This record gives sequence, structure tokens and C-alpha cells, in this order.
Amino acid sequence: MSAVLQNLVNQPYKHGFVTEIESDVAPKGLNEGTIRLISAKKNEPEWLLEFRLKAYQKWLTMEAPQWPNIKYPKIDFQAISYYSAPKPRKKLGSMDEVDPELLRTFEKLGVPMHERAVLAGVAVDVIFDSVSVATTYKQKLAEVGIIFGSISEAVHTHPDLVRQYLGTVVPIGDNYYAALNSAVFTDGSFCFIPKGVKCPMDLSTYFRINTQESGQFERTLIIAEEGASVSYLEGCTAPRFDTNQLHAAVVELIAHDNADIKYSTVQNWYAGDENGIGGIFNFVTKRGLAKGVNSRISWTQVETGSAITWKYPSCVLQGDNSVGEFYSVAVTNNYQQADTGTKMIHLGKNTRSTIVSKGISAGHSNNSYRGLVRIAPTAAGARNYSQCDSMLIGDQCSASTFPYIQVRNNSAIVEHEASTSKIGEDQLFYFAQRGISNEEAVSMIINGFCKDVFQQLPMEFAVEATKLLGFKLEGSVG
Amino acid sequence: MSVATASGYLESLLQGRRQLQASPLAWFDRLRADAVERVGAQRVPTTRNEEWRFTDISPLIKLPFQPVYTASNLQAAEVEHFYLDPAAPRLVFVDGVYAPQLSTQLLNPATDSNVVITNLSAAISAHVMVLEPHLGRYAEFHNNVFTALNTAFLHDGALIIVPRNVSVDMPVHLLFIATQKEATSYPRCLLIAESGSAVTVIEDHVALQEGVYVTNAVAEIALADNARVNHIRVQRDSSQAFHIASCAVSLAQASCYQSTSITLGARISRYNLNVRLTGEGAECTVDGLTLIAERQLADTHTCIDHVKPYGISRQSHKCIVDGAAHAVFNGKIIVHPDAQHTDSTQSSRNLLLSGRAHIDTKPQLEIFADDVKCAHGATVGQLDSEEIFYLMSRGLSEMTARNLLTYAFGAEIIERIPIVSLKHRLEQTVLERTQRN
Amino acid sequence: MIYQNSKPLLEVRGLRATVNGIEILKGIDLTVRSGEVHAIMGTNGSGKSTFAKVLAGHAAYVVTGGTVAFEGKNLFELAPEERARAGVFLAFQYPIEIPGVANNQFLRLTYNTVQAQRGKDELDPLEFDDFVREKMKLLEMSPDFLDRSVNAGFSGGEKKRNEILQMALLEPLLAILDETDSGLDIDALRIVANGVNQLATKDNAIILVTHYQRLLNYIVPDYVHVMESGRIIKTGGKQLALDLETHGYDWVSIEQRAAAGV
Repeated sequence: MSAVLQNLVNQPYKHGFVTEIESDVAPKGLNEGTIRLISAKKNEPEWLLEFRLKAYQKWLTMEAPQWPNIKYPKIDFQAISYYSAPKPRKKLGSMDEVDPELLRTFEKLGVPMHERAVLAGVAVDVIFDSVSVATTYKQKLAEVGIIFGSISEAVHTHPDLVRQYLGTVVPIGDNYYAALNSAVFTDGSFCFIPKGVKCPMDLSTYFRINTQESGQFERTLIIAEEGASVSYLEGCTAPRFDTNQLHAAVVELIAHDNADIKYSTVQNWYAGDENGIGGIFNFVTKRGLAKGVNSRISWTQVETGSAITWKYPSCVLQGDNSVGEFYSVAVTNNYQQADTGTKMIHLGKNTRSTIVSKGISAGHSNNSYRGLVRIAPTAAGARNYSQCDSMLIGDQCSASTFPYIQVRNNSAIVEHEASTSKIGEDQLFYFAQRGISNEEAVSMIINGFCKDVFQQLPMEFAVEATKLLGFKLEGSVG
Repeated sequence: MSVATASGYLESLLQGRRQLQASPLAWFDRLRADAVERVGAQRVPTTRNEEWRFTDISPLIKLPFQPVYTASNLQAAEVEHFYLDPAAPRLVFVDGVYAPQLSTQLLNPATDSNVVITNLSAAISAHVMVLEPHLGRYAEFHNNVFTALNTAFLHDGALIIVPRNVSVDMPVHLLFIATQKEATSYPRCLLIAESGSAVTVIEDHVALQEGVYVTNAVAEIALADNARVNHIRVQRDSSQAFHIASCAVSLAQASCYQSTSITLGARISRYNLNVRLTGEGAECTVDGLTLIAERQLADTHTCIDHVKPYGISRQSHKCIVDGAAHAVFNGKIIVHPDAQHTDSTQSSRNLLLSGRAHIDTKPQLEIFADDVKCAHGATVGQLDSEEIFYLMSRGLSEMTARNLLTYAFGAEIIERIPIVSLKHRLEQTVLERTQRN
Repeated sequence: MIYQNSKPLLEVRGLRATVNGIEILKGIDLTVRSGEVHAIMGTNGSGKSTFAKVLAGHAAYVVTGGTVAFEGKNLFELAPEERARAGVFLAFQYPIEIPGVANNQFLRLTYNTVQAQRGKDELDPLEFDDFVREKMKLLEMSPDFLDRSVNAGFSGGEKKRNEILQMALLEPLLAILDETDSGLDIDALRIVANGVNQLATKDNAIILVTHYQRLLNYIVPDYVHVMESGRIIKTGGKQLALDLETHGYDWVSIEQRAAAGV
């Protein structure tokens, strides 16, 4: 790869600092005792402890998946601490009581914990290592009946709701990492939009891993009742360590009749250095159940971080006429590995799904799209459109596409398109010969390539995403 | 004579060669002898063969029909409804035998003085220097028993040579008419487009009446640098006939090959189109429409082989399948390691008009270069219910809306044919076959 | 056209260049004055496309000797984009595709970049739209070209027209057309040639790099240079191209060898 391209794609990681804060960290290791400890620290009801123990027993019988197109050393689950919380943790009455060191941390990360903040109009739940440290706009949301906050809190305040939905979309034994998460999850966001309510502002969770030896296992549950709608944003960063941290999250979405959930992620966990040392192992199970008629689940993700990404945000289209969408930009550089994509499971009649996946690989990285479209015999009139494009920057990286299409109903229409293109010396020379500098050329090519996905992101996120890619946006590029 | 086994079938077919005369040209006889040997070394493919997985041609081995060697006395009045309008240079073959009384070389003497449009056997001595490096060099018969058979029976065919920098204004019509039942014909075409030349050729397979017969056709097309060939192929054989054909195209630097293949006829048909882009910057457009019904089976196998850099290929193949018919499309695109900057798109779109119709579509991309742009897409389905709804919301009946959309689906390919009279005739056929009331 | 007293635009002296360590250009001398049309002809591998890319500044080609002055200034001191802004335009033999970037965005950016360099006003999207549509008429291009991604999915002929459209927008002082005729059918060739002819003025110059004489029926050159093995081995008027067509490239090399006494 030419030096120009090298410089253009290698941007320093800006979130790699560590916050000096005293934390309550559980001893390393995983056994039943660890799970009982987590449950006790959170003062959980008996049914949740049972849920965890059942998941743990299931996990012990399972093996890590071998099929992804990624390589990593065997993870030592006994070398990880499963609970880490900043001390002292007393019940917070208002934002003013949050540890100032934490406030400064999130200020530095650009996450507004003050309701008067720049990003006004977005309610934020902030997760630091294992626990939720603050939620903004809670009161305002409560006025329209929306429940938004940490899941540990919801377990106490709305136990019936949590119990009714937890593990219904991603069962405890769904896969190896989902089972692990179900056993040891510490915190995460809970969101409930009641019947007929359109959430007046975007909801957001910001995840931060701070401790070197702790894993992060968050659990998010979002329920939109009949006719409700919500747009949810998720951001994540972690300090720069030379060891790998494990992040194994589970996200469950449930959309009832005519409900609409839009879930956007900008994932920027620490990716390791230019030699592939350090970085987050990101093994995530995200799934939405479009349960009701005319419901809609939409995933948008911009994946730039993590040493390894293993993630397939999926939609189960159960209600007739329900809609599933997946828009993804996955960027890998240096020695990053990404095996990501989606699953669209069509069960209901006239269900529709759209998949737009854009993979960009640079350096020595490896970027795979893996997607499943399944049309069940019951899904008469189902339609899917998939578009998977790969872009290679330089010649040391690789991109693969693994589309799986299973059609069991002959009235379905399934379309798949794929392409591969490249930014190399010849492409840059063409622009230069028209008077356009290399920086502008790369920015124009990348933004043109990602345009279809960025259009799906909420405004603030779109701006952050383009910045994240490390390429400046030329004014004339839409 | 027992023909129950596949090998017995090939043997009995080859017996028909007894009436072939030896050629004064040693290389020509050697080519045929090689082909006979390759027929002997191969078997009739079964569905266990990956290349024939979806197409069962076992009914063919019960039909060891012999070729016709006698000239037909068919008169123009019986076949002129097949002619192009306005009149164009035309070579007519009846049951595989050249029919001079129906053919015409109508050319513009001012511009086309050196253009050769004739039957192969008449021209072979005069053009031997030009022919030898081309004839039988592109249509590979070592692993294709039907091409080997055709080559084994090679004695005549259509020959077109367009000299350097000559553009032939009128399209050239190659008309293959089947008139006899229980006969096998072996049509053969060779088109040599020299550097900077341009020509449009219509390869037209028609039947005078319904009947069981076998057509085994081979075409070879060689484009020198900067040459342009527009190849329109229409297969409208009898719905009881068997039609097996292959076409091999070789493209030199910056040449451009456009192909539109329309498959309407035959009980079972198979068309292999192999396009090799052997020169830098060569470009091809390969379009196809298969429109079949009842118990027809139509199989199209294409292979676009990018050997050199900067090649462009565009492919759009459509099938409209009705009744209990079965369409097969296998579209292979190969990009060799040297073929950097290849730009290739392929789309396979299929419309099923009945619950019993079916389609097997298999795009196959084999890419060995890293700086290429390849996009492919495949759809199988029925008419778009939203489009139907839209038209209905504008006052059309559902039937009319369906008819309109089905017609439009097929017409998109037909529209690419530049000869108005042929285009209209085909549009009429699509209309007749797709409309319900 | 040859004008009396017109000033030299491009002066190439003893130019040598390598690609991947192999010498392709072995000493080229050429002077192009404003208003002139030069044709550089030669077989594949004679070095004519390399010459075009060296003038435009492609990084894969290393200049190992000689000088090139453009309007009296050392061309090699300019980066590729600076050469473009100074008025050197290369119509590519194989234009690059840029999926996702709309042609009109690209055209406007390149146009405004070059305008800014010349101290002229940039055009906003609406003004530009009118301007570019006018230019497209010259090349008989359909307006829907503007909404498609740059060269993506274009046929070979469409890509070549898009190149000449860019030439029409950027109004270069020196336009180098690298095999613009290859792969074009007669109608497209006529349209492209007509476009180029209308863009030729007494202030700019054109270098046509081509393998075939055919293009020169439509764009009549003032000078024809024959290139072989990285050198210009013969220079003549437009008749030279016709002779080449009749006798082939071997004829020149044999004649040259005879003249050189080899």
C-alpha cells in the first residue's frame, strides 16, 4: 500500500485513556459462586438468579463456535473478572451526585451527562464497566410513560416486565456467548415504550470499558408496545491496553403490532495497535422480534473498533407485513478481524427485509460478511433485497462474502447483489489527474461507498460516524 | 439396431458419416477425424454430470436420427415469411443443407466489395488461408460430445468474413429451417471479423412444421482488435424438437461483442455460450430471454472468461416460465489472475407464471484477480404485487396489469434487437405467449 | 492547426522513464506549440501510453532522465493534481470507476477545483447543472449520465465520452487523449472526434495517442510521430498515418533501420 493510503487510513485511537477511579472489582474466575456474588451485589430476586444459573449450566455444555472466519487464541474464562463498579456506589438522586472523575471521563468522550448538554434532545444511559452510572431525561420520559434506565434498576422497579420478556428473543442457550452473557450479565439498558407512544427523543446508551481485567457483559432489552416507536443509539469505547478484553453482550428487541424500533450502533472499542496487540474481543448477540403485524425492526451499525468482531444483528419477522432492515458499515484496519452480517428470518406473510452491507478492509485486516435470509413455508409473498459491497484499500487485506439463502416458499422474491472494488494507486491517480488531491479523493470514495448506510443514521451519529472513519467530509459531497 | 444405450446411440449416429466425402484439405479431414475420436471417447452426459445437473437429456438417446444430404427444393414462397424486412444478405440452410435458391448476397458493392458471405464448402478452397487458423479452433470438443459430433459431421455451413475496417451496413441473416421429421441437422457458422470491422448477424433457427427432430448447432465467432459484432440468436424450433447448440466467441484487444439470445422453441434445448476476452480492454454484452411453457425445458449455460486486463462484461438473462416448464440458467464468470481491472456485471431475473413452472439459476463467479469490480444479482419470483396494485389503482383490471408487466419483463430484452421487422415479430410472440384473458 | 509565431507549450527533451525497473522511454524529444494537434502512433508496447502517463505524473512511472517544460516551467516539480490544475489533461485509455460517487458531484468538484486555481468563480450546483448540460449536448450524451456513479456500469464507449466531457469542462491547455478511439463504434467515434474538434483553439494543443489511423480521419493532425521501443523514430504530416495504414508499422521500422544503416 502506498504511503499516502497508509497515512490516510491510520488515524490514532482517541479514546484510549484510562480513568483513575477506585473500583469494586470481583476476584477473577467463573463458577457458580461468581454468579451468586453478582446476583447478591445487585440484590436480585430469586428468579433472576435461577435464570443465570440455568444459563451457566447450559454454557458449561457448549463450545465456542468454530465456523467464523476469524482466528484468536482460546479465551481463559478464569482470568477474567466478571464484576467491576466504580466506588462508592450509593443511590444517586441527581446528576450532581455523580463522581466528578466520571463526569470528566464522559465529557472527554463527548458524552453529555448534563441535561443541558450540547447533545440536548438525546436521553443517555451511561454504563461504566459493569454498571449503569447515570441516566438523563428520566423524568421527562416518565411523563409519557416511557421507562428508560439501567436493567438492574428495572429488575426492581418493573420486575414483571423484565421477567416477561428477558430471554424470549435470545434464549439462554442460543449460542455460546449468549449463554455466557445470560449467566454473568451485570448491567445494561432497559427501555419500555407503552402503547401508542412515539418516543419524543432519541434514547442512547454509552458503554465504557475501563478496567484492564474485567469483561463487559451488558444486557439490553427494548420493548415497543402496540403502535409505539423509538430510535435508540449505542456507542462504545475502551482504553488502550496491550491485553484483550472480552465483551459479550446480548440485545433483545420486541416490537408489537404496528411498533417501530430503530437501533443504531457506532462501535469503536479499542481495536489493538498496528501490530495487532491488544483490543477488544467483541462477541455480540443482537436480535429483534418483529412480533406484531406491520411492525418494524431496523438495525444500523457502524463497526470500526474491536480486534475481533463477531456480530449478526438479526430480525425474526413473525408478524404479517413486518419489516426487517440491516444497514452496516464495517471498517477493519491493521490486524482487525470482522465476521459480521445479519439474519432475516421470514415467518409471517408479506414480510419484507432489506440488507445493505458495506465492508471496508485496509492494512492486513480481514473483513467478512455473513448473512442468512430464510423464507419459511409460512412466509407467502415475502421479499428480501440484499446488497453486499466490499472495498479493499491496499493489497494486504481481504474481504469475503458468505450469503446463505434458504427459500421454502415459492411466492417469495429474494434478490442478492454483491460487488468488490478497490482504492489503489490507479484510482487516486485518476482523481489527481482531474485536480483532486488524494485526501479529497479518498474521502469522496469512502463516503460515496458508505452513503446508503450513513443516510440511515440519526444526524448526530452520522456526523460522528464520518469523523470516526477518519476521513474529512468535503463540502460538496452529499 | 438397438439404441437403448447411450454408447450405442453415439455409434449409430456416427454411421451417418459414411455419406460424407473426404476433403482435399488434409487439416480439414484431420479436424473431423479428431472429432470422431472425441465422440468415441465420451458419453452422453447424465444429470450426475455437474454441467448437466438440471437437464435430463436421456430422451435424446432414443432418437438416433441421421442427417439429410439431399438439397431441398423448397421455394421462396413457402419460407419468405421468415425473411427480414427490408431484405438483407441471407444464407439459408434447409435441414442443415445449403439452399442457394433461397439465399442472397445482397451487398452494397461500393463499400462491401471484399465481404464474404457464403456457404463454407463453396469458399473453403478460396479462403483456406483465412479459415484454417479459425475453423474448429474456438468450439472446444474435447469435453463436449455434442460439439464433437457437430465437428465430426462438418462439411458445410455459413461463412462470414468481414475485412479490416469494413462496416457492413445491413444485417446478415443466417436462416436454418427444419422441414423433415426424424432427422438430425448439424448447422455450423463461422464469423471472422477482422481488425476494425463491424457486422450484425442474425442466427435464426425455425421450423416449417411441428415434429420431432434434432438440431445440433455450433457457431464460432472471432473478433480481431477493435472489431464489433452484434450477434442475435433466435431459437424458435418445433416444440417437439431437441436443440443442442454451442457458440464460442474469441475477443481480441478493444473488440466488442454483443449477443442477444432468444429461446422460444424445442421440447428440450441447451445453449452453451462461451465468450473469451483474450485481448486487453475487450467488451461484451450478453443478454438472453427464455420464454417457455407446457413441458418445455430450456437450459442456458454461459461462460464469460476474462483473460486480460480492463475487460468489460455485461450480462442480463431473463426467463419467463409457464405451465410445467423448466428453465435453467448457469452463468459462469471467470476472472484470471492477469485480468486486473475487470468490470463485470451479471443479472439473472426469472418470472414464474404458474405454480408448476420452475427455474434453477446458478450464478458462478470465479475471481482470481484482486482489483476487479464484479456484481451479480439473481431474482426468482412472480410479478411484483405492488406494481400490480399501482396499475390497478390507475384503473387497470388485475388481468391487464399482469399482462402488461409480464410483457414488459420480456420486451426489455427484445428491445435490444436492432432489426425492426424481427423485433416486432418477437414482440408479437411474447405478447401471444404471456397474455391471459 | 499550425500558427505562425505560436509559443511552445510543451518541450520534451531526452525523456527517459522506467516502470518496475524496466526502461520503457529511451529518449523522447517533442515540441508541441499552442494550436497544434500531434498524433503519436505505434504498436502495443512501443511506449506511447507510458509517455502519456509520465506527462500526467503517474507514480508507477519513474523519470530517469531528460526534461519536460510546460509553459516554460519544469513539469516534474508539480504533483499530478497540480499538473491537472495547470492545464494538463489526460483522457484515460481505461477510465476508473467510482461506485457511489455521482458523476455530477465529481464533475462539479473537479471543475470548481480547476476554476479556483485559475482565479475564476466556482459554480453552485444549480449553475453547474445548466453549464454541464450544455457541454453534454456537444457529445450527444443523455442527461441521466449525471446521476449515475462515475463510470460505474458504463460501457467502454460511454466511459470515453465521459472523458471528453471532462475535457470540455476543464478546458485544458494541453489535452492528451490516450487511445480514446479504441473500442468505439463508427458513430461514437464521429461524435467524440467532433467534440474534440470543437474544443481545439489556437491557445490549446492536443496530443492523440493511438494505434489506428481511423481516428485521424476525423481529427486531422498537424504532425504524426511514430514511436517504437521508447523512441520517436519518424515524424511527418498527416500522410504518414495513411502510409502506416497501408504498409503497417514494420514499414517504418525497416525504413528507419535502412536510413540508420543498421
